[in-house]
Amino acid sequence: MQLFRSLSNVLFVWVLFGVTGTLFAQSDEFFTGVVLDASNSDPLIGANVYWEDNLNSGVVTDLDGKFKLKKRVLPSRLVVSYLGFEKSIRNITVNEAEKEIRFFLKPSELSLEEIIIQERRPDEQVKNLETGKASIPIETIKNIPALFGEVDLLRSLQLLPGVQTAGEGTTGLFVRGGSADQNLVQVDGAPVFNPSHFFGFFSVFSPDALDQVDLYKGNMPASYGGRLSSLIDVSLKEGNNEQIHGEGGIGSISSRFMLDGPLFSDKSTFAISGRRTYADLFLKLSSNEDIKNNKLNFHDLSAKFSFRLGEKDKITLSSYEGSDFLGLDEQFGLGWRNWVTSSKWSHTISENSFFDLESYHSRYNYKVEFDDPDAGFTWENKLSESGMKGQWSWINSDKIQTYWGFQSQLYHFSPIALDPAGGSAIQPIATNPKNGFLNSVFAGGLVELSPRLSTEFGLRWSLYHQVGKGVDYFYEGGAPTDEAEITDSVSFGRLKPMHFYQGLEPRVAFRFLVNDEFSIKAAYNRNYQYVQIASNSSAGLPVDRWILSGKYMDPLRSDQISLGVFRNFNQNKWELSVETYAKDIRNTIDLKNGASVLFTDQVETEILSGDGYAYGVEFLLRKNVGKTTGWLAYTYSRTWRTIEGISLGQRYNPRYDRPNDVTLVLNHEFSPSWSAGLTFVYTTGQAVSFPIGTYEVDNQVVPLYSDYRNEDRFPDYHRMDASITWKNPDKGRKWRGSWNFSVYNLYGRKNPFAYEFREVINDKINYDPDVDGPVVSRKQSVVMTYLFTFLPSITYNFQF
Amino acid sequence: MKKIWFIVFCFCLFSCQEEVNLPLATIDGIVPVIEATWTDIPFYNEVKITLAENYFDSSDQTVVSNALVRILIEGTTINIPFYFNDDTQSYKPFRETSTAVVGESYELQVFWEGNVYTSKGVMLAPPIVDSLTYAYQEERLFRDEGYYIKVYGEIPFKENNYYRIKVIENDTLKNDRDDYLLFDDTFGLQFFEEGLELNYPFEAGDKVRMELFRMNKSSYDYFSQLVGLLFNDGGLFSPPPQNPDTNIIVEEGEGKVLGYFMVSPVLTETVFIRKENN
Repeated sequence: MQLFRSLSNVLFVWVLFGVTGTLFAQSDEFFTGVVLDASNSDPLIGANVYWEDNLNSGVVTDLDGKFKLKKRVLPSRLVVSYLGFEKSIRNITVNEAEKEIRFFLKPSELSLEEIIIQERRPDEQVKNLETGKASIPIETIKNIPALFGEVDLLRSLQLLPGVQTAGEGTTGLFVRGGSADQNLVQVDGAPVFNPSHFFGFFSVFSPDALDQVDLYKGNMPASYGGRLSSLIDVSLKEGNNEQIHGEGGIGSISSRFMLDGPLFSDKSTFAISGRRTYADLFLKLSSNEDIKNNKLNFHDLSAKFSFRLGEKDKITLSSYEGSDFLGLDEQFGLGWRNWVTSSKWSHTISENSFFDLESYHSRYNYKVEFDDPDAGFTWENKLSESGMKGQWSWINSDKIQTYWGFQSQLYHFSPIALDPAGGSAIQPIATNPKNGFLNSVFAGGLVELSPRLSTEFGLRWSLYHQVGKGVDYFYEGGAPTDEAEITDSVSFGRLKPMHFYQGLEPRVAFRFLVNDEFSIKAAYNRNYQYVQIASNSSAGLPVDRWILSGKYMDPLRSDQISLGVFRNFNQNKWELSVETYAKDIRNTIDLKNGASVLFTDQVETEILSGDGYAYGVEFLLRKNVGKTTGWLAYTYSRTWRTIEGISLGQRYNPRYDRPNDVTLVLNHEFSPSWSAGLTFVYTTGQAVSFPIGTYEVDNQVVPLYSDYRNEDRFPDYHRMDASITWKNPDKGRKWRGSWNFSVYNLYGRKNPFAYEFREVINDKINYDPDVDGPVVSRKQSVVMTYLFTFLPSITYNFQF
Repeated sequence: MKKIWFIVFCFCLFSCQEEVNLPLATIDGIVPVIEATWTDIPFYNEVKITLAENYFDSSDQTVVSNALVRILIEGTTINIPFYFNDDTQSYKPFRETSTAVVGESYELQVFWEGNVYTSKGVMLAPPIVDSLTYAYQEERLFRDEGYYIKVYGEIPFKENNYYRIKVIENDTLKNDRDDYLLFDDTFGLQFFEEGLELNYPFEAGDKVRMELFRMNKSSYDYFSQLVGLLFNDGGLFSPPPQNPDTNIIVEEGEGKVLGYFMVSPVLTETVFIRKENN
């Protein structure tokens, strides 16, 4: 629709220029101006410009949005109008008429909706070949009611079918039965090791900095690989090439700002953004010394520069940096930081062939410092991945497209270093480094076999070497058990091959178009994963131990088949999809009881390995057009693991197995000024282990657990969030501000975060006999912790 | 000490707790719990046998008094028989002077209701404790103000370094979950020579007894896992809760068994805290 309108305007301008070109002779009788889109400073082609009291005086803007209009007695009122944008009427004085005037038209509210739709073709879900792919437009993400008012990309993705959350408020994603470390989160092609702040309560992405987000739930093109469950492909926003544009927000816990525009010329642009929390600034205001001297904050910074080098080449440079810090009284500090940098060269070889070359470096590090005369230490670790990817693409014909390419990835996990402070009696610890070199070649294509039947196919061949520096240990009996003695060890020099794994990863998908609004799709794909986290908690921690495939650690492998039907209704205004999948997972890991993996150089002795599988069906009904938009999703899914040494070797559910999952996301525009959002979530409770009894040992009353893991369930989880947005369309020409008031957990549902099974004294859960007096009664009890009941927040957002 | 709460302050700011009713499964069958301690000091040598009970069962703990208990000295035919002592509600050696000897290996045998439970352990040499000192300390990060005791000694062993310190303050064992003091040689053992500070503040006038145990790895792992379980809040940041791995096996019969068999030397030292004169 928008495209059609633009083409019509271009045609109209062209015809008009053809007829009236001679009227544009330079003369003092004319004054000039340019009409631009206020949201992105793009020129508006074919906008009408005329004097208010003389409708016949009008002209239209040219391909650059410029116009030239004959002067009249000034001051006079000038009208600028354009379909889909709000009309602008300005009083033009004699002085103003002597220079070029810039008019910024604001998109009307109705067309805002339609702009959002332009991010996807109306019939895209039916016509394309992708299954298991989901996108949420950034504008939609911004409208979803958010915890603390912080618009959150990863938490928004949790609202899609097939994506589970670990628990209340956390941003970890569990996609189609996979664990959180089976997701590849990448920003402009560079992976992010830890995409969360505040121990997982917020994700690292500032929404203003984002251009596009695609979630692939396992069915990735052959050009992507390295993780089993999903690819979350995040693109940073490029700057516009016309003028400086800014946007930002002032929220309850953080503020953010983004600035973009041309850099040196209209051939290059920049976009920079930042976000910072201010909890620690409030702490400084406290009169309590115990609170005042503490620090707690996070920030994000991102930048993207793009350069057009002629008509065939474009280079972009992107960088993201974000960190968290928790400091206690200048004596204890915990900080962690992601820093990713990437570049991309896009080259048009010919009309039908293209080449893209990407390179990146991603680094994650954490540091713990404890200043103590007896036991002070510094504990730190660094993880990095450097890579390069080249891809050639051809449009062979209107029915065949092909591509091939390569990707090289070098993983370097530095030794975990614990250095005692001066005078400290503890001894230093340094593990050996871990390095991996993963080279992949891939090829694929898309072929329209018939007007109804199309296929997308691809093959990725990953070749992985664990390389030096590193050390392999040999154990008594050959297996790395906790009890087995180390019989020998071998050290490897820099880049010396240690172990090799390889695997072919076929990907194939078919789409059969029943009619223009109905298609059936099927897909199969295999993925290998050579890096994972050794952890048995459901939420990630900044100090989690990452491990690479090696002598005792086979790579993870998954095979997924999926089948889906996709139906659009009412001229593509409504989308309905039903997708089913089944997934087989090999070599998944878990930790032994009481495992300690943070400082050991023999992680393999702490790990158990096994297999798993998952299956499910996902329904999605979505409306993208009109005053009311949103979706209703329902997922039924199960996931199981079978690992020798856990649950007596019987299959068990991971904590994130939540069979029933319902999500409702609604957004409604009442007027140009008022809009509202509503989210409802219902899921089966998490799979957990509750005690079956108690016993006394070592003077403690200890809960007794069954030998079978996670046979119990938290109560069902449900929650409703709501938000209201008010914006003042008349506030200035360029400045556009809006207020967003949101409430998390509208009806105050007490969803459990944790259950403690412990003794309660005198019927009071926090009774302390040392402080509160004599003990009258003791009983075994269950104490529930819950978070965030009815949490309101307010945010002011602005654009200029 | 107040500062440690800052770590949980932000979390607690938006969290609440309340007591709830939750339907729980019950124990299928009978599960005995065996706590067996075998040391070089007769006072500590005993075997307690109790039964686990359903979670909300408010009745008194069931003590098993009809089991046959003995300890075999491996490589010999000598066995040390135990009897049930009504006063301690535990099994004690018939010969009170029977104790563990450094270098000997022992096998615990418990016969009860047709089942045979066994476990093995080696008596390791004790480390050296030279002295205890104490000094008044102002409030520090993670520690309240008060008198703090340091243990000085030497641990000359290159392996099997698994230790536990118990602290008895004025005849009361410090046995909260925060009170466990377990250490191995992960961070070296130099701190023991330079003075290991016990992580408890004492007051002037306190009588403090320290007991140092050197355990086998299996019993050390048991206590480490026990502490982990006591701190497991069932939340996202905790591992799935599991019973500590017992080092006792069901040799004959059915069902499961809980508990531990600890063979260890014991070093004890006592100190009286007197008010420092500035």
